[in-house]
Amino acid sequence: MKARKRVVTSGPQTPARRTPTVRRIKSAIVPAARRPTSTTSDRARQAAGAPPSVPVGSEAGASVDLAVDLGRGLVLATPLIAASGPFGYGVEVADAVDLGRLGALVTRGTTLRARAGSPPPRMAAAASGIVHALGYQNPGVDAVIAKHEPTWRSWPVPVVVNVCGESAGEFVELVSRLEGLAGVAAVELNLGCPNAARGGTPFSVDPDAAASLVAAVRRTWDRCLIAKLSPGAADVRAVARAVASAGADAISAIGGVAALAVGGPRAGAVLAGPAIRPIALRVVYDVVGAVGVPVVAYGGVAALDDVLDYLAVGAVAVGVGTAALADPGLPTRLAGELEAAVVARGHASYRDLVGTARR
Amino acid sequence: MTTLLAEAELVESRAILPGQWIGSFHAPHVASGARAGQFVHLRDPDSTTELLRRSVPLNTVDPSTGIVTLHARSGAIGRLRVGDRVGLVGPFGRPFEVDPRSRHLLLIAAGLGIAALRMLADEAVRDGRQVTLLFGATAARDVYPSSLLPDEVEYLVATADGSLGHHGPVTDLVPAYEAWADQAFAGGPMPLLAELARHAAGRRERMGVAHLGRKRGGGRPEPPGSATARRKSFLQVALDQPVGCAAATCLGCAVLGAGGVPLRTCREGPVFAAPELDWAALS
Repeated sequence: MKARKRVVTSGPQTPARRTPTVRRIKSAIVPAARRPTSTTSDRARQAAGAPPSVPVGSEAGASVDLAVDLGRGLVLATPLIAASGPFGYGVEVADAVDLGRLGALVTRGTTLRARAGSPPPRMAAAASGIVHALGYQNPGVDAVIAKHEPTWRSWPVPVVVNVCGESAGEFVELVSRLEGLAGVAAVELNLGCPNAARGGTPFSVDPDAAASLVAAVRRTWDRCLIAKLSPGAADVRAVARAVASAGADAISAIGGVAALAVGGPRAGAVLAGPAIRPIALRVVYDVVGAVGVPVVAYGGVAALDDVLDYLAVGAVAVGVGTAALADPGLPTRLAGELEAAVVARGHASYRDLVGTARR
Repeated sequence: MTTLLAEAELVESRAILPGQWIGSFHAPHVASGARAGQFVHLRDPDSTTELLRRSVPLNTVDPSTGIVTLHARSGAIGRLRVGDRVGLVGPFGRPFEVDPRSRHLLLIAAGLGIAALRMLADEAVRDGRQVTLLFGATAARDVYPSSLLPDEVEYLVATADGSLGHHGPVTDLVPAYEAWADQAFAGGPMPLLAELARHAAGRRERMGVAHLGRKRGGGRPEPPGSATARRKSFLQVALDQPVGCAAATCLGCAVLGAGGVPLRTCREGPVFAAPELDWAALS
């Protein structure tokens, strides 16, 4: 259409500018109802070592203690966290999921330099799970910091950056980039990464390699350090003891179980989802028995019973991973269900549910 | 209960080919505004072993009745009964881009690749374009029934064993239509798409198509991946990758783009212009 000529009738006033129309794309996922859980002042108190205020508004109206202390000032408001992967860097789902209702958000695995990831196919369905090999696709730590860290600062949920590397030197350099950033509450070392010095064997199958990696990172990182173990070690208790004595503040387990699907992903493929839950329960049980540091459990959590199982074997926090792909609202819903379950059982603290299967 | 918006009821179901199935769902939320090439994410709520939702391209869509048909491998969803309700969300992804000036569309499919192209044939016929579909299968028993296509579509078949139509791969049929077609759209296994992409890359030179730039030094090149760039490229392909989250988060559906940039099937795809992808890495 031809632009209409503007006729000035009075005075030197400029015509009002049309504000551009913003077209909003409707999300397929309904945003969960937002409710305030923790505030910035809460986080300041957390940093000072005080427990956070308990999330408001449980169904029964009673307040229960859900705080989890992972060490060095990192206190989670609730034991339910988002495991590394399904929520990316959090910003991808922030519109659809009320992240403030989670104890923590663990980011996608991040490497020092950008990685393009594995060739397709990257995923294949398996019985009660998926076999996947993403090949650590990520834009590199510097791009992640530049793009997302300012956003994380304003969030009520602590963000834990999951870091991956092929050598202790790479891990140390990567973690040093995260040093001093207010938006990063902790780092989680993915010990399931292939160790280039040992021909690609994961760090987590070798107590010495795992311990020296944790010790090296410990020297540069003075906030909460979580070591994530993958299964496959001859004795996972030895690995757990090694990383704990090397300075890990907490241990998380498990990463994916090495797997394969014919016609599906190959190099570096792992099985995830409910299929690995019994394996993960065993590993968490063994690790809790071997070390005194808090243990965060991952592995096929899809319902409240799974959360209660992990707490019963001694985990203090539980992460939701693969199941959140199909249902992004699951982690926050489980957080609410756990709170309700603690109230319904008449406990004052969720810690009364921790370790009950060990007695 | 899930926080997902949508459930849909299966209103009709039939096996059309060995191991292949077409289901009609009442899903007005999907039918409104859906375009050819997009996909939906489907999950049987009773299934305990199928963890993730499954991506299925839209086969046909009728916005007036809200009926959406899906053409898929008859696995767990093939066992659904009429009246069953499933989680059905979408549409996701970017559609095929048809240039308004294109008169002749060439559709090339093999096996289940037709599932993504079927709706494009509907749209093109409705818009008064001429459509030729080249279909490849291993044998006559796997050939897509012509009764399921609009009458206006010219339909040619190639089978690997020669039991119906041309004896050989479907790519043998392409050269005869290459000059006729204004745009081509393909769906099927990755090796087929890679061969078509290789073939399409040299088309301009083979056909002697002059590159007509705009007056005064030609227009500025369209950014790759834009709708306009896709419209201008001869071949668009629909990829059939398993999609994990359909929210562009999990990266499980990513494929390598030209220049080593990963592209997500669920967000940048599932339709891509052939030059956008790194075919050497994909095949």
